[in-house]
Amino acid sequence: MKLINKIEVRKELTTNNKAQQKNSSKTKDPKPKTKKMPTLEHSEGYRIIHNWMADKGFSPFDFQLKAWKKYAHDYHGLVVAPTGFGKTYSMFLAVLIDYLNHPEQYKKGIKLLWISPLRSLAKDLQIAMQTAIDEIGLDWQAAVRNGDTSTAVRRKQERNMPDILLTTPETMHLLFSQKKNSRWFKNIRCVVVDEWHELLSTKRGVLTELAIARLRSLSPKIRIWGVSATIGNLEEAKNVLIPYEGVKTNIVTSKEKKKLKIISLLPDEVEVLPWAGHLGRELAKSVLKVIYENNTTLVFTNTRSQAELWYQSLLEADADLAGQIAIHHGSIDAKLRNWIEDAINQNLLKVVVCTSSLDLGVDFKPVDCVVQIGSAKGIARFIQRAGRSGHSPHEISKVYFVPTHTLELIEVSALKEAVKQRDVEAREPMVLTYDVLVQFLVTLAVGEGFQREETFEMIRQTHAFSYMTQDDFEWAMQFITKGGTTLHAYEEFHKVVFDEEKELYVVKSRRISMLHRMNIGAIVSDAMLRVRYMKGGHLGMIEEYFISKLKVGMPFVLAGRILEIVHIKDMTVFVRKSKAKKAITPSWKGGRLPLTSYLSHYLRLKLNDALQPSIRERELKFLNPLLAMQQAHSHIPKSNEFLVEKIQAREGCHLFFYPFEGRLVNEIMASLIAYRIGKLLPITFSIAMNDYGFGLLSDQDIPVTEENLIKILSKKNLMDDVVASINASEVASRKFRDIAVIAGLVIQSQPGARKTNKSLQSSSSLIFKVLEDYEPNNLLLRQAYTEVFNEQLEEARLQEAFDRISKSTVILKEAKGYTPLSFPIKVDALRDTISSEKLSDRIARLQKQQYKLIT
Amino acid sequence: MNIVTKDIRFGNEIVTLTNQRVLFWEAQEALILSDIHIGKTAHFRQHGIAVPDAILLKDLKRLQVLIENFNPKKLLVVGDLFHAEYNQNFDIFIQWMQQFDDLEKILIRGNHDRFSTRFYESLGFHTKKQQAYNQLVFVHETVKVTEGMHYISGHIHPGVRIQMKGRQYLKLPSFQVNSQQLILPAFSLFTGLNTRFHLEDVVHYAFTEDAILEL
Repeated sequence: MKLINKIEVRKELTTNNKAQQKNSSKTKDPKPKTKKMPTLEHSEGYRIIHNWMADKGFSPFDFQLKAWKKYAHDYHGLVVAPTGFGKTYSMFLAVLIDYLNHPEQYKKGIKLLWISPLRSLAKDLQIAMQTAIDEIGLDWQAAVRNGDTSTAVRRKQERNMPDILLTTPETMHLLFSQKKNSRWFKNIRCVVVDEWHELLSTKRGVLTELAIARLRSLSPKIRIWGVSATIGNLEEAKNVLIPYEGVKTNIVTSKEKKKLKIISLLPDEVEVLPWAGHLGRELAKSVLKVIYENNTTLVFTNTRSQAELWYQSLLEADADLAGQIAIHHGSIDAKLRNWIEDAINQNLLKVVVCTSSLDLGVDFKPVDCVVQIGSAKGIARFIQRAGRSGHSPHEISKVYFVPTHTLELIEVSALKEAVKQRDVEAREPMVLTYDVLVQFLVTLAVGEGFQREETFEMIRQTHAFSYMTQDDFEWAMQFITKGGTTLHAYEEFHKVVFDEEKELYVVKSRRISMLHRMNIGAIVSDAMLRVRYMKGGHLGMIEEYFISKLKVGMPFVLAGRILEIVHIKDMTVFVRKSKAKKAITPSWKGGRLPLTSYLSHYLRLKLNDALQPSIRERELKFLNPLLAMQQAHSHIPKSNEFLVEKIQAREGCHLFFYPFEGRLVNEIMASLIAYRIGKLLPITFSIAMNDYGFGLLSDQDIPVTEENLIKILSKKNLMDDVVASINASEVASRKFRDIAVIAGLVIQSQPGARKTNKSLQSSSSLIFKVLEDYEPNNLLLRQAYTEVFNEQLEEARLQEAFDRISKSTVILKEAKGYTPLSFPIKVDALRDTISSEKLSDRIARLQKQQYKLIT
Repeated sequence: MNIVTKDIRFGNEIVTLTNQRVLFWEAQEALILSDIHIGKTAHFRQHGIAVPDAILLKDLKRLQVLIENFNPKKLLVVGDLFHAEYNQNFDIFIQWMQQFDDLEKILIRGNHDRFSTRFYESLGFHTKKQQAYNQLVFVHETVKVTEGMHYISGHIHPGVRIQMKGRQYLKLPSFQVNSQQLILPAFSLFTGLNTRFHLEDVVHYAFTEDAILEL
């Protein structure tokens, strides 16, 4: 359908158009010279879109209108609005309006590229967009391309790309790795990054930045827009997405605010709750009541195994739920997940137990209630989850909180306070991720090949690599062409070679190209096996680590079903239904997020006056007996105090510290403290931590006093000691795992793949050791340490914590048994060992004491 | 390099375990090892994974010191001498081998050893699928045992994970020994450890740079 003829061109619009064209051809003046701006409302494109909306009984929100205007005036930017207010339309319709007003500027092929972090988002968005396009009467086509897209559809797209392509950062890079790919990206007018706040602080965000840099080099006039939820550093988020000079940028924020109601489900008595970890399943009955009071409920858990357990216990508590309850998490087969998402929308389900897999995505209209099991770990995350209920504008989001251990109730109290203050976390962007750089360079070489200087300049424009030096880049080039060290030139290493004829860096080996394509992306999971029934039908994925502990015939739970292993072949676990009543729930390793600094700040405040709760603080009042017990046996730290508990137990001597800084910072503090005590005497500790504190456990007595604790907790030489303590532990080696996979040093075996590349298998810890021994200047090693600093350590947060501790009074309490604060740490399974002893001394001691061989 | 040894009785023979991933059989003057995986570093590089050769050179250096120390007449490799296809690493190895021309060299073929007998012979290695000396049978992968015979094999890359008091863990390479079987640790340092495989009624001899530990 041609709309050109219909368009009635207004005088002001034409003048501005000319002015704009002049601007773009000559200088890039951010202020157009025309004094009188044409109003968008008078354009034909706007009229068409407005009428279409009016037909459906909508009118645009203020922020949508503003986004359209900014877009029309060649701005780049960020749209910020709560879920349910039509963020998608703010950008999608902006492009349509622009097209309707200037159809002559649009050429064949992809016009709008929509990058979103989640595959599941794409499908529904595509339907919504295509419906709108059809109703408006355009001949555009919107299509999805991601890991779930079939080969046939992909080939078809490659011959004839749609007008709107909805995709993921990884798929963008996969497209870059294809021959002659740049032709697809020459006519793109706009790239939109959806849920930018989710990508921002991850390596996938860096992949996105690089993708945009390349798109911009192919299509210089491209407009870059991001769509984001509220975060603490929106200005920075915008600058990371659009770091380019000479472009106009803007943040469009909606005034609309979502109302939020937080209710905690309390058990009958405080003792009823288990002290740590295990789920408060006694509350299943109360959760059921909530489920029946509402139409559709999403039950959010923090881990996949918790989701499986809750699914089972809800079914146990009420068998009538069968058929109306579903489970949704990242390890469940994509087809099954899609079916569940459809079923929610069609109002077929009463309750869905899920993990962060449903944090994002299209809104499910029937959902009117959310239950959060356990701490949400952060304010932004909590608000986002809550927003999944009561999705239409101006409706109230209702969220019930179910504690998994008693102390989490303090967190609810803290959350309520934070939500009241609307104090939301910032998300720090990642920089200088050499693993992603190396991967990107090889991707380009596998695709069309690249030119050295141009590529350096292109990459340097991104925020992530703006501080990359020429030397760093040369190192990366050496790494992919010669294998690293400059001293040895290994003849057989020719991953990327310089093609003299084309004057480009290319990959010639088909096998290397193939291995690389399989490896594109920045999500690193443990080795996963696919799970399927003997008769066919995929159920999901499971960690190799978990399966290796099971024997044939042993029952386990996945996707809410009790299964048993028949046999394992080609990275696939064949299973059949089991008749067993009880089964083991798999443990998936990932997904344990630390408490954010914002939330921990509020937490400390709440703890400070926990013993004197105000009348309206239901949670704190409820907790009173437990807090009183803590006070009686040990102490409740005030906000100007720092509590250390020493407990002698059968397993050895425990020392507990409570900085309330989140799991990761607590872990670093733990190694640091262990290191500092280790300087006083040779000693080996095992470390355990949770979000509130950490514990050191040794088989020897730990000689601490309030006096030497002040020294041990001093901020003097803080970072030096931290570095030394990190070296001692293996934190960096663990961080290196992801880096090694992303940079292609470790080949991940693909689930379901016939070929497991066995002769190329090695562990990242082995490679880490080799590089440390023989190539200490490797930038990937350096990155592992930097990542430990930035992410694990959150240097700024650590400094702040020690600052606070140095101003606090250190209180050492010797307790007879475990205290309410220490017990959850004690039972926490995440442990690490740190030692200042020689290995041989440890062995000598081992020979004297009892030990257990793990079989 | 610190060589720690420990004599054990296996079958009717006395064999010497070392903390340097080799076994010495004094009666036969044989140095026995398994899973050297020569060519692994270059194989990785050929597939675009940069691993330096220093690790191969260190393996060869270790072997050289061990040969000089035990002064054996026989060198017995219980499989996986080479990792994959012929590559540049082989040249380094072949050149290095020249200093041990007088040594009798026997290779028990492993799953990775897929070259022709002629090729191995050109390097001075006699190849066998299995080789028996008295009651001791050398074979790469563990096999069903016959009564009265004793088997020495490799392939597994055995290791142990030890839990100490205070929830501390240690992971060490080891020899696995029971009444009829002995599994050698992998000789190359560029190999992982398998801590999940255990023979029946097994004794683990785990080792470190300074000690051998019976578990």
